Order: sequence, then structure tokens, then C-alpha cells
Amino acid sequence: MRLSALLVVAAGCAMFSVPLFSQAPPGPLVRRPSPADTATAQKTLSIRVVGYTIDAKLDPTKHTIDATETLTYKNLTGKPQQTFPFHMYLNAFQPQSTFMTEVRRSGTRGNGPDTAWDPKHFGSITMDKLEADGSGDLTSKMEFIHPDDNNAADRTVFQVSLAAPVAPNASVTFRMTFHDQLPEVVERTGYKHDFDMVGQWFPKVGVWWKDAWNCHQFHANSEFFADFGTFDVKITLPQNEILGAGGDLMATVKNSDGTQTLTYHSEDVHDFSWAASPSFTRVDDTWTGSQGPVAIHVLMSPGNMPSAPRYVAVLKGSLRLFDQWYGPYPYDRITVVDPPHGGSDAGGMEYPTLITAGTSWNMPKGVLAPEIVTEHEFGHQYWYGMVATNEFEDAWLDEGINSYTEAKVMNELYGTNTSTLNFPFAQAGESDFMRLEYLGSVDSDPIATFAWKFRNSNSYGSVTYGKTATMLLTLEQVIGEDTLRQALHTYFMRYRFTHPTGEDFLKTIEEVSGKDLRWYFNQAVYGTNVFDYEVDDAHSDPLQWWETSRAHPKPADGVYRTYVTVRRKGDFIFPVDLDVKFDDGSTATEHWDGKDRWTRYQYDRKAQIVSAQIDSQNQLLLDRNFVNNSYNEKGDARATNKFRNLWIFASEWLSQLLAWLT
Amino acid sequence: MDRTEGGTFFRGAGLVWKWQRLLWWIFAVNLILAWLATQGMVERLGAALNHSNASQYFVHGFNVAQFLALAGQPDSPLTSDRPAAAHYSVVFMIFMLFLTGGILAAYIRDERPQPGIFFEACGYHFWRFFRLLIYMLIVFLPVGGLAALAGVMYNHIDERSISPFPAVHFFEAAAVVILFLLIVIRIWFDMAQVIAVAEDEKRMHRALRRAFGLLWHNFFSLFWLYFRITIIAVVFVGLGLRLWMLGLKPGSNIAAFLLSQLMLVIWIATRLWQRASEALWYRQRAAVSGPEPVWTPAPVIASVAVVEPYPPPTT
Repeated sequence: MRLSALLVVAAGCAMFSVPLFSQAPPGPLVRRPSPADTATAQKTLSIRVVGYTIDAKLDPTKHTIDATETLTYKNLTGKPQQTFPFHMYLNAFQPQSTFMTEVRRSGTRGNGPDTAWDPKHFGSITMDKLEADGSGDLTSKMEFIHPDDNNAADRTVFQVSLAAPVAPNASVTFRMTFHDQLPEVVERTGYKHDFDMVGQWFPKVGVWWKDAWNCHQFHANSEFFADFGTFDVKITLPQNEILGAGGDLMATVKNSDGTQTLTYHSEDVHDFSWAASPSFTRVDDTWTGSQGPVAIHVLMSPGNMPSAPRYVAVLKGSLRLFDQWYGPYPYDRITVVDPPHGGSDAGGMEYPTLITAGTSWNMPKGVLAPEIVTEHEFGHQYWYGMVATNEFEDAWLDEGINSYTEAKVMNELYGTNTSTLNFPFAQAGESDFMRLEYLGSVDSDPIATFAWKFRNSNSYGSVTYGKTATMLLTLEQVIGEDTLRQALHTYFMRYRFTHPTGEDFLKTIEEVSGKDLRWYFNQAVYGTNVFDYEVDDAHSDPLQWWETSRAHPKPADGVYRTYVTVRRKGDFIFPVDLDVKFDDGSTATEHWDGKDRWTRYQYDRKAQIVSAQIDSQNQLLLDRNFVNNSYNEKGDARATNKFRNLWIFASEWLSQLLAWLT
Repeated sequence: MDRTEGGTFFRGAGLVWKWQRLLWWIFAVNLILAWLATQGMVERLGAALNHSNASQYFVHGFNVAQFLALAGQPDSPLTSDRPAAAHYSVVFMIFMLFLTGGILAAYIRDERPQPGIFFEACGYHFWRFFRLLIYMLIVFLPVGGLAALAGVMYNHIDERSISPFPAVHFFEAAAVVILFLLIVIRIWFDMAQVIAVAEDEKRMHRALRRAFGLLWHNFFSLFWLYFRITIIAVVFVGLGLRLWMLGLKPGSNIAAFLLSQLMLVIWIATRLWQRASEALWYRQRAAVSGPEPVWTPAPVIASVAVVEPYPPPTT
């Protein structure tokens, strides 16, 4: 999920401004047979633990869903299992929930109800009936549990015990009847006007992981974790509704009561979500990659159509680069849902093969927010969708790695310095924005922190997204950009359709690079060390200074002694290069291990210093302050003068505004 | 537009041109105060940036992310002295409050504003205009309430509509209405200031009442007079901003400075144009309806109303 960072931003997608999409004819999105079908039939992509069959009916006026669910769980835990935990995520949107308590305490990522409780944000999921084969009706045996905070009022996780344990490799089938009340859109779920975004909407079983059940409550700063399997979902809703879902459309039936029932199938995924609105305009396209054609479906909200080609262009670019750099995209579809005006809290969210984007009316081309959010959520198809890490406990593995690949892809597609903002008068690149996000909370929490245990939502966002991306961008300077790309490819191919840990990721990097990087990971991932190097002093002095005077400042022998002092201001130890330039055109490059607090270099030359700079390309993005990385003897006031112009102009206009009152 | 209105419109511009010393003084004071307001920040910024190669992020372009990173540093040179800048703007506002009496007297009398006479008029009317400013802030209160009500109604419509458009269109309409009200109030108070100077009206509530009557009976004439000049100002400033952002090279600081100050000059000139046109409009109307008392320079015995005939209308 990515939201606030994208408020910003901008820019010219001229390279994709040709019509890369086509307006689709009206009609259902019926799945076409593809080569992937054959492959899937022969061998499944994932180890399928769960099989969900859901029959749901949407009431678009009340924004409620009544559904039945059949879950077949295969016990691959290696142990008999009798007690099963389930997520009931929609119950988070209630005043006393853990989610709301945390939002009230330290904010949330979106525009949620963080100042006052508003009943329109109420959401719930109620279990009308729960049965399990061999155990009968278990409804009365449901017990809400609170493994994370002992909040007795939180009803986002329940557990139930069967009459008898399920043996290893055996299966159990649960049958449920439940009712959803969607909130007005909050935390990427809910309704706005005639738009319904239906995510995290059904009872979902926890994951047996690290030899225990892993089923956390819904938190303000965490996302989700689930097992792979199959989904067969029937959705009944009025015939005027246009639907997008994270599955292949298998059938559409028009019912006599004015409704329609659409049947979807999805496999080797761990979630299923959908969105509906009668106001959607559908845009379809196709991209062909190494695994065959991928159908692109974009559902545009009113007023946002100018952004449709931008979504399609960046999606195709992302598909191409991910396919080329990290690994194949194995699914035959991807759906982009564009939330309506006022429903931006539904935007910027990932689900398997369905993502929500975000734009606004009259979005300038120079602001690349639609591209960034689309790329980011698509990237989650890899880092979350396929490499299904635990978003509760290792949020950096999905959001952080994804932020890094977002920067790489956006920079490749739209230019390193223009991939966020691209105007003649102002620019910004994605890497710089990742660093900026990291600077928002440099040392408040380690990257490897459970999502709900960050100091606050700002720290969660800065560290999980910005710092992880910046940590990886800086790591490129240690092992090389190509090596890190290769490491990500290896990590993806090795761990796709599994639940790897942070150590799996870090060890893969070490393995591919052939380097022991613990010194770096211990500081950057597991620590809160502050990275800040500076040129503390740089000046030249006549070697025979006593023979010079104010009238004759130049030494007779022309030899100067130049001192350059470099200092480590923070506690992050990192080897840095120092480049020193002299006025005769000569240079010197020093490599400092950075272990001491400071070091001084001395040169005796017939030349004076021109400049001294640490990290001359400013590629060590973890460095919190670039301004003190260099010293230029001559000086250049042009930037300061530009700021002076802007400040004077702003101050003058403030004066004029007040003077208008007189 | 009848011939009288057209004459007022263009002759107002001529009056600003004729007494352009006023314009340059106002511009200079505005610039000097702005320079003083920013000087501390610029010095700190220079100390941090002038000898750092990081300054290049802003020389040949403007890297927004680097700017925000600089602003976000714990000891950022960009984060302090903000109140000082606002204080200088308040000083300028008081300066303009002081100056307005002199400006209007010069325009109404259409005489070369000698410093002594000019500043005497400024001082003579200062407290009247200060009272008018208080009245204006009071009048703005219901407009603020209206804006708040519009916000509530926006939410109400947004929540009850199945489409986002009605609420947005309502918001746009409300914004236009509020902008219109602000302009009307400004014209109303402009005319009250003209009356206060032209008729030496000491009681501001009476000046406001009479100005309201004038505005009520000559609404389209006065509104169109004011609004046309506003459009000209907005167009010129908009073109200037566009040229600045899209036309100038990122490194051309001198050109940017000159252009930005040209925009300010135009803005100030158009505001003076509005005042001159309003003064002329009132003078012409007074000439038609007969002479009225007017403020004149000292020596004046306050209790004696001095009648000074206005020049005949040019129509």
C-alpha cells in the first residue's frame, strides 16, 4: 500500500503518450484460454493450503454483503491441528477496536477517522453460522482472541476448536454464513458514492508459520498475511454495476430479478478482492511477456479518464521491467481500479491481480502520482503477491523492497531526476523522494520492526518504505547495482509462492554478492544508526607561511600545504571516498573506512585546494545531510540568490494580501 | 459601458501614470521590507549552501526533493525566522493603511502630491481608515460563516449523492459566490474611503452607509470598473508566472528577479488604478450632483467646511 508520498508529484509520460490502450467494447471480461492454463494444470505454482468458495450478494444501497463461504484447509503443518484462528478484518472499523485505538493514539496512513469517530466509518463482519465437517455447528464456540494487545473489545481475530484434531496432510472443511457492513471508505476498504471497494471482507484463516499460528489483529500500521490456494467466488449484484475482481471471469448470468451473478476463479493467490460501481468506464489492453499475454483491465471513475492511458503505460512498462529484471509475471490478468473523487482512501492498495490506483481531475502530466501509485501497487504482485512475506511482522519485505523497485522502475521509465516531478521549473526523482521519506524519521525505529510496534505512523512510513528503499539504494554502492538486481531476481525465483523471512532476503543478497554484509545490515536493518559524514575543514596554507605577508601572500616556492578534515557525525560506520581537487587541475582520492570519528588528509603541492567532497555523486542516500558533504573554496551564491528571489517574492505577496484589506 | 465609465476607466490609468511616484514608493517599500524579512534566512542559507556542491541541485533546475530534504534538516537554515517575515508584512499593511488617505486625496484633487501635503492627508485619515478596517473585518465575519456553511453543505451533498460531481460543482459555485462577495465588500469599503476623503466625512459608519447606497444604485458600473482592472491584473501576473516557470532558464536569477518585480509593479499599479478610477468615478458623480465638502491641506480650521469646486466632467 502506498498513499501519502504520492500526494506530491508529477510528470511527463511523453514516452508513453501514444495511444497504448483501447476502449473496450461493453460486455463481460470472460476468461480466455491461455498457455498458462496448460502449465497450471500440470503443476501448481504454489503449495495450495486453502480453497475458498464464496457466494456473495452485494446490496449497493446499504453497502452490505451477505455471503456463504466454504473453506477447505489442508493441514500441511506436520502436526495435528484442532484449533484454528480466523481474521475478521472488517471489525477493525469500530471505536473500541485495536485499529481505532492505535489510529487515535498515533495516526494512520490515510485520511481515516483519526480525529473523531464518525459513524459512517463503521464497518463490521458478523458470523451468522460456522460449521466444520465432523464438528457440526461451531458458532457458539467462536472465541475472539487478542494475541497482540489483550484488547478485549477487539473482534478482528477469533479462534475455534474442532471436535477432533485434523491429522497431518488431511483436510477440514469449514462452512460459514456471514454478513458484511462496509464502512465509508477507510484503510482501502469501503464505499464512496456508488463505488464499493470490497477488500478483506471474508473470514480468512491464519497461517501456520514458524511452527505456530500467525494470525494478528488488524492494526493501524500493518497489512496482511495469508496462505496460497484457490478462490471460486460468485458475486451477485445489480445488472448496472460494473465489476472488477482479482480473478478470471468464468461466467456471467443475468438473473430475472434484475441482478447478475458473476463467477470468478483464481488460483495460486492468497486473497481475493473486488470493486463495483455503475459509473466505471472500462479500458482494456494487453501486454505480452515471457509467460504469454496478460490482459490489462482498467476501471476508471468519472472525471478521471485522462489518466487512463497513463495507468496503462506505466503498467506495461512495469510488467516489462519486472519480467526482465526480477522474474516472470505468471498470471494472465491484472486489474486496475481507479477510485472516484473523494474515495482516495481506497486508492493505492494491492491485492493479488487487482490493484487500486489514484489520480485526480486535471492531474498535471508533470506530476507523476498516477504512475507512481500504479507502479507501486503492481510491484506488490511480486513483493507480497508472490513472495508472500508476513506483512505484520516484516512489513519492510513487501513495502520496503517494493519501494526500492518502484524507484528503479520509475527512474528507468521516466528519468532518474524527473520520475516524480517533471516541470521546467522544478524536478524530482523517485530515489530522492525515497530518501526524503526516510529523512522524515531517520532513527526512530529499526527497519526490522513489527508493523504495529513502530513509534507512530510517521515512523512506520518513513522507515518501512523510505528507509528500506534508501538502504537498498545505498547498498548498490557496496555490491553494485547489477549484483543487487541479480540478488532480487534470485530471491524472487527462490521464494515466490512461499513465506520467506527477513533473514532469507538478507542471506540471499550476501550469497549472490559473495560478501559478508552483516556490518551493513546490523546498522541499517537491525539498528537505528545515523549516517552523516561531513567535510569538516578544507583549506590551503603556504608551506613556508612565515615568509609570506599580507603584501606578498603567495609563497616564493609556490608550495601550499592543504588540509582536509573529514568527520563522521553519526554513529553509522561506512567506508567513504573523498575527492579533493586542486587549482592546477590535479586531484586526489582518499578512501576512509569511517571507523574513527574523524580523519585528516594533508597534501603539499604547488596548488591550492578547489574543493573536497565525500561521495561525489551523492549516491550514499542514507547520508542524512548532503549539504555538509562538500566544501568548495570558490563558492557559488546562485542557489542562494534563487532562494532569495523566491522568498522576497513570497514575502511581497503576503504583504500585498494584507494590504488588500486596507 | 457608457462614455463616462469608459473615461473613468482610462483616465484612472492616466492618473496612476501621472502620479506614478506613488507607485514606485509603494513598490520600493514593499521590496525593502520583503528584503529585510528574508535577509536572515538568506544569510543562513548562504552560509550553509554557498560553499557546498549541493547548491547545484538548485542552480540548473530546482530539485524539489532536495529542497524538502534541506528544509527538513534539524538545523535547517530554512526553518527559522518565519514570524519575522510575517511581521514585516504586517508593517507593510499598516504602511498602506497610512498611505491610503494621501493616495486618495491626490487622486481626488488631481494635484501633484507634495510630500508635506501628502503625508498630512495620510495622517489626517489614518484613524478613520483604521476604523474602516475594523468594520471590514466585522463584515468579513458573516462571509467566513458563509464559507463554513458552504463546507458543511459540501459534506452534506457529498454524503447524500451517488456521484461526486454535485458536491464539487456546489463547491465551485460557492467559491465563486464568496469571491464575488469579497470583491463587493472591497468596492463598498473603497467607496467609503473615497467619501471619507472627498467629503471629509469623519463618521465612518455614515461613510459606509452612503457608500452602500452608492454601490446599491450603481452596482454594475462600480463592479465592472473594479472587476475589469482585477482581470487585467490577474492576466498579467498569470502570464508573468507562466513565463517565469516555463520560459526563463533555471539559472537566470537576474531575469527572474526583474520579472518577479515587474509582476509586483503591475499588481500594485492595478490596485492604484482601481482606487484612481473609483475616485474619478465619484468625482464625476459629485460634479453632476453638485459640489461637496472635501479635505484640503492645512491651514484649515476644522470647523469650517471648505468648498472646492471639482473640475467639470470630461464627457
